[in-house]
Amino acid sequence: MATPLLSVRDLTTVIRTEGIEFEVVRGVSFDMYPNEILGLVGESGCGKTMTALSVMGLIPSPAARIAGGEVLFRDRELVSLPEREMREVRGDDISMIFQDPLTSLDPMFSIGHLLTEVIRHHRSVSRSEAEAMALRALAEVELPDPETRMNQYPHQLSGGMRQRVMIAMALMLDPDILIADEPTTALDVTVQAQILDRLLAQQRRRGMSMLLITHDLGVVAAVADRVAVMYSGEIVEQAPVTQLFSDPQHPYTQGLLRAVPQTRHQRGALHTIPGRVPPPQFVPPGCPFSPRCSQALVRCWEEHPELVPENGRHLRCFNPQPLSPA
Amino acid sequence: MRYLANRTVYMVVILAISSVAVFYAIRLSGGDATAARLPASATEADRETLREVLGLNDPIYQQYFTYMGRLLSGDLGNSLTNNALISKMVIEHGRNSIILGAAAFLLVFVVGVPLGMLASVRRNTFMDQGIMSLSVAGMAVPNFWLALLSIWLFASVLGWLPSAGCCEPRQLILPAIVLAAEGTALTVRMTRSAMLENLDSDWVRTLRAGGLSEARVIGKHVFRNALIPIISLAGLRIGQIVGYALIVEVIFGWPGLGQVLVNAVLRRDYPVAQFFSLVLVVMVVLGNWLADLGYLAANPRLRKA
Repeated sequence: MATPLLSVRDLTTVIRTEGIEFEVVRGVSFDMYPNEILGLVGESGCGKTMTALSVMGLIPSPAARIAGGEVLFRDRELVSLPEREMREVRGDDISMIFQDPLTSLDPMFSIGHLLTEVIRHHRSVSRSEAEAMALRALAEVELPDPETRMNQYPHQLSGGMRQRVMIAMALMLDPDILIADEPTTALDVTVQAQILDRLLAQQRRRGMSMLLITHDLGVVAAVADRVAVMYSGEIVEQAPVTQLFSDPQHPYTQGLLRAVPQTRHQRGALHTIPGRVPPPQFVPPGCPFSPRCSQALVRCWEEHPELVPENGRHLRCFNPQPLSPA
Repeated sequence: MRYLANRTVYMVVILAISSVAVFYAIRLSGGDATAARLPASATEADRETLREVLGLNDPIYQQYFTYMGRLLSGDLGNSLTNNALISKMVIEHGRNSIILGAAAFLLVFVVGVPLGMLASVRRNTFMDQGIMSLSVAGMAVPNFWLALLSIWLFASVLGWLPSAGCCEPRQLILPAIVLAAEGTALTVRMTRSAMLENLDSDWVRTLRAGGLSEARVIGKHVFRNALIPIISLAGLRIGQIVGYALIVEVIFGWPGLGQVLVNAVLRRDYPVAQFFSLVLVVMVVLGNWLADLGYLAANPRLRKA
């Protein structure tokens, strides 16, 4: 494969509450290549969003900080980059779309104002040129009647339209990397497909690299090239999409896949993984998944498994078993 | 427009009700209106004649209608104590009150809003705690006490500022600060909490993700959102200033509406007390009306239904 566009190495992010620091992202490493979609999946609270915010340098400060690791983008290291320079990267080279479009736009300013403000922060263009760029970006995400929308305020737009605005804002400066954090979760099912479709069309047209954070495995199977599965702040398995779905190795990945409702031959209750993700202050020693794992060995309780590469797959498990037919 | 019409009707109703209330309150509080007008040696018969001439022996409701009739035809009447034209008094003293009130109102926002922003940006630091402690003090100390303290310190001990009088800028400083103290303290707290509330919103993250600087995100966007509650409470600040002006003007010998009103009430100078208190009511109601307008103008979500 080509050289990675973005390379995350051993990223560790901690949150401090009441004077004690907890690791919410623990030694996460992954690469992103041009013209590729990397899916990042896992349950709520497993550190997906914190990983993305750490890459963007947007973790809530001073409550959280990056305790270690590096993010290499082109020939720069972003974690240690001064805030002034990081601002130039954000929104221009790397952009991000957030989960809830209803609350993600400043209600006091018109759509046109918000878009042109970001454009003019990064590019020295006139107001009218910036407006033309914003209009083009809105048209590209197929927002109906973009000229009118430019003068409207966020509350005058529906959730789907606002998410289109968010996507336009993220794409208008032609970023190399787009991080989409659950971009369709807060939307109606019918709108979800349209938004995802717009997002993919733009990704392909621009040859952009995209990190798609979601807990919707159906979406990942349909659009991602590679998938990383996170559990308790760590990546537990990472593989090309077909490999991961046809032959999942980590018991957590297997559990997630079995928990997806199948429309055909569905019998009995839906499979669930017993227990829940441990909160960061109570991560068990050894493998963090061991308390919920049906095939845990004594070793799994005592020793922390490493992420081991093998045939294009990375796996963090001492006792992988082939997926038994459910 | 509908909203404005509603507000205007509401304003007229408030004025009508308060004019009745004030009229009755002053007359039912006892006292003798003739005491100030006639020398102490005047006989009871003289006093009775004067009451008859002034119409003070009529039933109160009848006095009210006579008074309102004159008022609406533009005749504000004369002071009972010195026969001065009330219209002239209002203009002269009103000017002084507006100078003092406007200075205090300006102070409230020019000092209160930046301090509140500073406290929110430096949340949980020494700076924040210092500003917040000051603001607690500003709310806790009654303004008549603050007035006396400031006269003692700045006029008597340090001799920096005059203790009372009108109407040089130097004489304006102490009363304006005292009058503004509580409103400023409240505005600091309000600004801080409004800023913090907005700092936590999702759209702040969106703007940061767009690469905007903290100065831009906070100074422009968060502030613009925090401005809405600040403006909507500006109306209350006006009412507060008008109310406190009664006390502060008396203490500092500032010849404004408040001082005249207090004297008029003490002397049972009915027409003066009546009209001056109406003027204060108008100022409060008008202040609230302006704040409503500002709220409407500041909030795009309310501009078009």
